[in-house]
Amino acid sequence: MTHDRDPAVARLEARAAAGCDEARLLLSRRRVLGLSAGLFSWAMMPRRASAASTDPRLLVVILRGGADGLSIVAPYGDPSYASARGSLAMTKSQLVDVDGFFGLHPALTNFGTLLKAGQAAAVHATCTPLRNRSHFDCQDNLEAGLPGIVGSNPTGWINRLLTALPADAPIRTHGALEIGEAPLILRGPAPVLGWSPTWFEPAWDGTVDAAQANYDVVDPVYGGVFAAGIATDRLARQAGGSFDGLGGLRLAFTGAGRLLAATDGPRIAVVTAEGWDTHADEGGPTGYLADALTELDTALGDFKAAAGTAVWGQTVVVIATEFGRTVAVNGTSGSDHGVATVTLLAGGAVAGGKVRANWPGLAPAKLYEDGNLAPTTDLRAVFKGVLQDHLGIARGLLDTTIFPSSAAIAPMTGLIRATTSPAPVAARATPVAAPPRPPSPIGLWRAGLDATGG
Amino acid sequence: MAVSEAAQQQRIALQRFGLGPKPGAPARIAGNGRAMVLAEIGRMPVALIRPGTLPSLATACAVGEGPSFEAAEDICEAEMRARFTKAMQPEIGFTERLVHFWSNHFSMSVNKAMIVRSTYGQLEREVIRPRVYGRFADMLKGVLSHPAMIAYLDNADSIGPNSEAGSWGGLNENLAREILELHTVGTGGGYTENDVNQFARVITGWSYVRGWESDEGLNGGTPFNRGSFIYRPDWHEPGTLTVMGRAFAPTPGRGQGLAVLDMLAAHPRTAEHIAFKLVRHFITDRPTAFQVASLKKVFLDTRGDLAAVARALVQLPEAWTLPPTKLRTPYEMAIAQFRAMGAPPVPAETKWEFRAPLYSLHNMTWEHGPPDGWDDDTGVWLNPDAARIRLDAAIFYRDVYFRSFTGSVPARAAALFGGWLSDSSRTAVGAGADVRQQLGLLLTLPELQRR
Repeated sequence: MTHDRDPAVARLEARAAAGCDEARLLLSRRRVLGLSAGLFSWAMMPRRASAASTDPRLLVVILRGGADGLSIVAPYGDPSYASARGSLAMTKSQLVDVDGFFGLHPALTNFGTLLKAGQAAAVHATCTPLRNRSHFDCQDNLEAGLPGIVGSNPTGWINRLLTALPADAPIRTHGALEIGEAPLILRGPAPVLGWSPTWFEPAWDGTVDAAQANYDVVDPVYGGVFAAGIATDRLARQAGGSFDGLGGLRLAFTGAGRLLAATDGPRIAVVTAEGWDTHADEGGPTGYLADALTELDTALGDFKAAAGTAVWGQTVVVIATEFGRTVAVNGTSGSDHGVATVTLLAGGAVAGGKVRANWPGLAPAKLYEDGNLAPTTDLRAVFKGVLQDHLGIARGLLDTTIFPSSAAIAPMTGLIRATTSPAPVAARATPVAAPPRPPSPIGLWRAGLDATGG
Repeated sequence: MAVSEAAQQQRIALQRFGLGPKPGAPARIAGNGRAMVLAEIGRMPVALIRPGTLPSLATACAVGEGPSFEAAEDICEAEMRARFTKAMQPEIGFTERLVHFWSNHFSMSVNKAMIVRSTYGQLEREVIRPRVYGRFADMLKGVLSHPAMIAYLDNADSIGPNSEAGSWGGLNENLAREILELHTVGTGGGYTENDVNQFARVITGWSYVRGWESDEGLNGGTPFNRGSFIYRPDWHEPGTLTVMGRAFAPTPGRGQGLAVLDMLAAHPRTAEHIAFKLVRHFITDRPTAFQVASLKKVFLDTRGDLAAVARALVQLPEAWTLPPTKLRTPYEMAIAQFRAMGAPPVPAETKWEFRAPLYSLHNMTWEHGPPDGWDDDTGVWLNPDAARIRLDAAIFYRDVYFRSFTGSVPARAAALFGGWLSDSSRTAVGAGADVRQQLGLLLTLPELQRR
């Protein structure tokens, strides 16, 4: 038997090899950031593939590598756009016009349809508070939610959100879901459910059943956990073989949609997508970036279909990246690490139909440090706006626990449809000191606490 | 079926303290499980890897600050293969487990920087292994003055604010903080933020030679010390510095920093922390006060003799009575599966494929991102997604061995587990539809998973 490699992984490795030195480290680094997951909680087990609850759902998508916001949502109406971008510039007729100034990349078919239907929006010229253009530092910053360079052992802001909520808040009860990698954004003491769309061949059902039967006799605890894993995987994949032929990203989005829709399933999920570090042959309406966007856009459509109409109506998808690209094309027909970029939002709960921006302009004098789009919106303002208006998280919590020392960054308002009502229980949470580092076993033991937290 | 005392000891020796059974292990160990674990302690040939073609420190360092990522990756791969190969050799493998424990105590990720990638294996092989039965203070000092750790925890550019070079750089507290929190006294060990800051100043100037310094002959760089540890006196914070209530006067070179490390290595809180971690890693998720106190006392009485501490661990009464409730990590599981099959399947051309299961299970060796190391809590590894992938991973490795496997799988199960193979597992393996399915079941038996 042969085990073919996931073609997406092979392609990414080839891209990484052709990209910047840091990207090669990054690719493998991101496969194993470390176990983010706190201990698994049985309360989080998704049980049935139905959507009885009206809890809000949140899918956070992290595009790793620094996605080119100027090509994803192109400011074709900026008088300097064509000259500043050179061969990377696209014409109005190549783009999907939004408002006479911004146009969507033509690969964003599903996203464009959603935007016209008022179920998608973009916020332009966003950036993390860090400006040093290092993949490592800026990704860690985005996920740790801290104001500057992140120390060596941080927690992630979604995990701090879960930790701070009242125990009966559905978001906390049902936990968060990590798809594939264990990203920093979920790292910390709160339990996290994992589902990994592995590419190597799953065991035959007969082997699964035989192993299960033996575990149940010899090691019932292991048997119970194993049964839960098999059940989760079958729920995510659902019978019918509809996973066949899907690439890694489509698999991940489909599984995320099914699990977020499941009764008693998680309410927050995180998916990460590699391969946005377009140093060479970036392309325009077609080419490398277009292919990556097509995959992302198709996966977004998969997610919507898998979640189902009702859950989609309660959902916000936020698609963010660690930084943008240089405005000018580089010597290898690509773009280099930049600063501001675009953040995409989609979902039935999004107040969509527009591109929002305090547009800084692309004229040479308006650029930030050697030719970058200037940041005018802190990415944390977007996240805070979604958490406040979609999940009902109180401002005090946002400013301290979730995004420490960010009181000066106001949540962006108007991102969420007024008709969706956030879960009131979340508002009861009181700000607590953020656990900026995971609790250490020896620290808990010395404090007289069970090191397992159980 | 009642498990005999001898079989019980075999299981504890191979699972709790060892790397898993090789075919025929029960017959060779017979009633000597405990004695064979103790007999490994202090035997240095068991701990050491012959360098052979593996690079020297100087070579590994030079590659780490050289131009070729592939060269660094090749070294990393060769070192990892040596680690795999070494793990196939011992009958029990307690020493190897201790090497893995100490390597994880000073956990780093090769993805931080090329210098870590090219030297991590060398550090484990030439700093950790020779000291696994030596003094804790020596291991601590060896690791912390290695370029890999200096780079990994960002001390290479840390400059004392009042030093000669103070105006062109800043202090970085990462290394000092993690030494206190993770490597020595641990959280709750009685240090303050001020101690972290003072200690960070003590180790300013602990750095390594960058490639451009070697190329241009600047800052002490030569063609021969590329990537090597260097002490930069003009970056070092001058004056007496106070850490945890003790004043450390300035000394030439690294002396001041080494004195702090000696103080920390001898600290009762460090002894307690190490004792806690050893008991938690090998025996139980919930160490008792008595267990921790027993090892702590030996650590302090012997001034950090790690052979004596290891012996005290094995001699804890509960070590031989508590049931094996901990779970092998995915890496430990892969090693146990390779041993059960008789060889490590690491042909160079398929190295990424063999790593895929470990990536999927978030346990790729030398790639834990944060410095806190792989978690020792069973609950972290025993989760639904991982349990499902463990089976898929076993099937993945099974397919590698399937073609070359000869003989009967039930016979192999008996040769591996002897008297501690449960009736249910024996029946399950035997009931497999064919050799392939039988092998898959063998490689995922609870007898192999729990330790």
